[in-house]
Amino acid sequence: MTRYLSIFLTFARACLVRDMTFRANFVLECVTSLGWMAMNLAFYLLVFTFTPEIGLGTGWTKEPFFAFVATGLIINSIVQALFMPSAEELTEMVRTGGLDGILVQPLDAQFLLSMHRVDFSAFANGLVGVGLLCWAIPRLPQPPHPVAILLYPLLIACGVAILYSLVIMLAAATIHLGRNQSLYDFWFYLTNFSRYPAEIYSGPWGGPLRALCTFVIPILLVVNVPARVIAQPLTEQGGMMVAGTVFAAGAALVISRWVFQAALSKYRSASS
Amino acid sequence: MHNSSHPRTDAPREAGEPVIDVRGLAKEYRVFDKPEGLMASVTGLFNRKSRVVEALRGVDLRVEKGEFVAMLGPNGAGKTTFLKLLSGIITPTRGSATVLGSVPWERTDDFRRRFALVMGQRNQLWWDLPAAESFRLHKEIYRIDTPRFERTRDELVDLLDVRKLLLRPVRDLSLGERMKLELVAALLHEPEVLFLDEPTIGLDVVAQHSLHRFLAHVQAERQMTVILTTHYMKDVAALCKRLVVVTQGSILYDGSLEQIVDRFTSHKIVTLDLDAPPDRAAIDRLGFPCEIRGPQVILRIDRTRIADVLPGILRGQGVRDVSVEDVPLEEIVAEMFRSGSTAGTDGATGAPR
Repeated sequence: MTRYLSIFLTFARACLVRDMTFRANFVLECVTSLGWMAMNLAFYLLVFTFTPEIGLGTGWTKEPFFAFVATGLIINSIVQALFMPSAEELTEMVRTGGLDGILVQPLDAQFLLSMHRVDFSAFANGLVGVGLLCWAIPRLPQPPHPVAILLYPLLIACGVAILYSLVIMLAAATIHLGRNQSLYDFWFYLTNFSRYPAEIYSGPWGGPLRALCTFVIPILLVVNVPARVIAQPLTEQGGMMVAGTVFAAGAALVISRWVFQAALSKYRSASS
Repeated sequence: MHNSSHPRTDAPREAGEPVIDVRGLAKEYRVFDKPEGLMASVTGLFNRKSRVVEALRGVDLRVEKGEFVAMLGPNGAGKTTFLKLLSGIITPTRGSATVLGSVPWERTDDFRRRFALVMGQRNQLWWDLPAAESFRLHKEIYRIDTPRFERTRDELVDLLDVRKLLLRPVRDLSLGERMKLELVAALLHEPEVLFLDEPTIGLDVVAQHSLHRFLAHVQAERQMTVILTTHYMKDVAALCKRLVVVTQGSILYDGSLEQIVDRFTSHKIVTLDLDAPPDRAAIDRLGFPCEIRGPQVILRIDRTRIADVLPGILRGQGVRDVSVEDVPLEEIVAEMFRSGSTAGTDGATGAPR
């Protein structure tokens, strides 16, 4: 484990060196990302000029909702920084045979393939998310319970694990298909559902969608559960959701590992 | 598919056991034919036609410790597929193989720490970073302790005279410079087995020569077992005593460089430099296939008759110089590729043991 951490830090260091080599690109990526996030926040502020709450009686008033948004920013920035660059590169590696070089190295291939690139500019959003959370928490209708504060980082980790598993399974599809350049788009569409409170998915269409995105592809648990724990009072139902999220994260990691290994065993390599 | 009759083991090999032991190794791919034209492409979405391509057809090979084996073959012969199987990148359809006592496609870390693969057409160093950064990463991945890492790196870097390139981003290097640094990276962990897949492809003569000298030196010093795939006879002649010729997924010849000449040619090339361009009819009367280039005559004479006929030829008028040579290896191998002959497939023909 220490060795893997040391190797990850070496990767991270190399990526930082590379990012600093192309400083203008690094700054541009940060600015673009922050700009997009600022537009989203402005949009949510606009929504709250029309309504005091997202869904009546849901508890998602302005400050709790911004704690929700902050949680989403933190989780997404971790995934975007640590895993997405490698997953996106995998598509090219499979197509060109670059994956060969990874498979001969004496390390876990999944670790190498999913963590060898770190996009430091993606942490910019996460930092803003932390700032937003620090702004929202003192303004919540009820301060978070100490247990909630302890659970929050664990649930953030679970959310990251669920998204990581999704990324890995999509990357595994790349190995099967030989080319999957829509990987990022597909991931974006899927995770789009996780950006909003689960309560908005109701009614004849919303109900089944909510069930699908909770029990089959558990992306609704990713942001909703940690955000609910920190921004809303703890309830018995909340406790069940916490347990469900921890279980879902573990199951997602195991299943994605299995899918990825199965895909690697079918790897054909590209012609040279 | 782990189709292996060998027991899986990472334990040290017993004395006398080959470093590489391949038996009946076969690899088939299912490929889809894409028909031409828009309509055919649309139809192909629903009804794709596929066929099975045999990249390797039951190859047998034993390589002992310290051997430097060249694998020669035309494009698509199966050379790279063979190296990918031995490196554990892909799994075979049939057959078995052990490298250093391990089944490659089980991809154990112990096994992967003991070999290296260098592919001439693939870049394994970090593109945007100096090679020194890739070496540092390599040190971590292969768990090389610092004194050993520094000693090996310095030795290899000095041998290839690339110290001044270490801090330059890899993308700014020439192909030859990059290949030298790829080799340094591959050898940092002191592998026991080295697979080289066309390492000299695209390199100029100077860079090729430099790599030849380096590889010959390192291999001899470390007693590394090396398999080199190449298209160039220069690589083979400079580095290897043993040659394996592969075409269409099968081994056509496995033996020494000298033996290939004896086995596949029956004649020698006799070149006569004359005072003046000869009379064609007089040359034809000698009764050997010939080629006339101005005052130079090139004869193909049966090797068993050379001693008998050469004195008579030299007694002729105006012979200023003569040379007797074997048929060039390129020519022999090219002919083997063309004919796809199976003449040398009787076991590991003439392989040095």
